[in-house]
Amino acid sequence: MKAIIFICSLLLASNSMSRPISYVGGHTLMANSGAQTDNIYWHYTPNINYSLGLDYQRDKISGEAFPSARLTYLINRKNTATSQRNLYLKTGIGLDNSTNHFYALAGDWETRRLFAGFSAKQVSGMGYELFEQSVKLGIAPYLGAYGDLHTWLMIESKKDNLDDRRITYPVLRFFKGGALIEVGYHKKTDWDVHLMYRF
Amino acid sequence: MKKFLLAALLLAATASQAAHHEMGHMHSHEGHVHDTMVDGQKLSVDAERFDNFVSAVPGDQIVVISVQGMVCDFCARGIEKTFGKDSSVTKIDVDLASGKVLLAYSPDTEIDRASIEKNILNNGLNTTAIQVVEK
Ligand SMILES: [Cu+2]
Repeated sequence: MKAIIFICSLLLASNSMSRPISYVGGHTLMANSGAQTDNIYWHYTPNINYSLGLDYQRDKISGEAFPSARLTYLINRKNTATSQRNLYLKTGIGLDNSTNHFYALAGDWETRRLFAGFSAKQVSGMGYELFEQSVKLGIAPYLGAYGDLHTWLMIESKKDNLDDRRITYPVLRFFKGGALIEVGYHKKTDWDVHLMYRF
Repeated sequence: MKKFLLAALLLAATASQAAHHEMGHMHSHEGHVHDTMVDGQKLSVDAERFDNFVSAVPGDQIVVISVQGMVCDFCARGIEKTFGKDSSVTKIDVDLASGKVLLAYSPDTEIDRASIEKNILNNGLNTTAIQVVEK
């Protein structure tokens, strides 16, 4: 049971496909609150190719905590005048128990108007293995200037090998200055709130 | 109750933003472009924005950087933070719509193109042109 909770919490927490690497010297703070877990994740970008972070998760039901260390590596980036495309390798390891770990391949493509992202993730912990795939698509209904409130209407879909059923749900993203809030809702997983602040 | 509050908050935010945008459209600040020639190249910057920027820093040197990959406010903020550390930079403006960064340098500064490019790269972006505007 503990392992399943751990796996679920890892899934929820590293689910976000928004900007896992900042500018050089930049810090990012994220907080997630979902049906099963809450977590706080901080990362620092020492170099344009990677970011290092610490994550602390707490299971809402059991009250158990799962601290982990994380690394995100930028495999490839393609910038054009109107778009940015990224491919990332992400990995995390439990600080209490190093058998808990995950690695993921994630990518995104974004213009000021459109967003598309995917993630494929392998999570292992205490004898459990889990593979999850997800995609996320978004559109900005209006184009704000720098400093305005930006709004994204998004849809996310994911599937894993434990619960062999695809779930698809709407996500609203609001973005202003260094702050981003994402709210997703699915009748099975209830509300999922994601906050992000970059400084 | 928590859910209700959250939903109300989201609705309010969307509504106020929609109103704000309608107002913005009446002034129509997008579209026309400055066609000053710099280094034999056209300077594609929003004219009003450019004029406002220049008139705020009289006597300073103006640099226009064309940037690739600048798609969101995180990029813009990163650029502000990075160039903000340089004490010879007196003003910064980021125009997402045209992919331009406007910088003002104090008059005696020697413009270092390599360091500008490096600062842009440290934000995960690429520089395609650096134009120093002669006044
Ligand atoms: Cu950006």
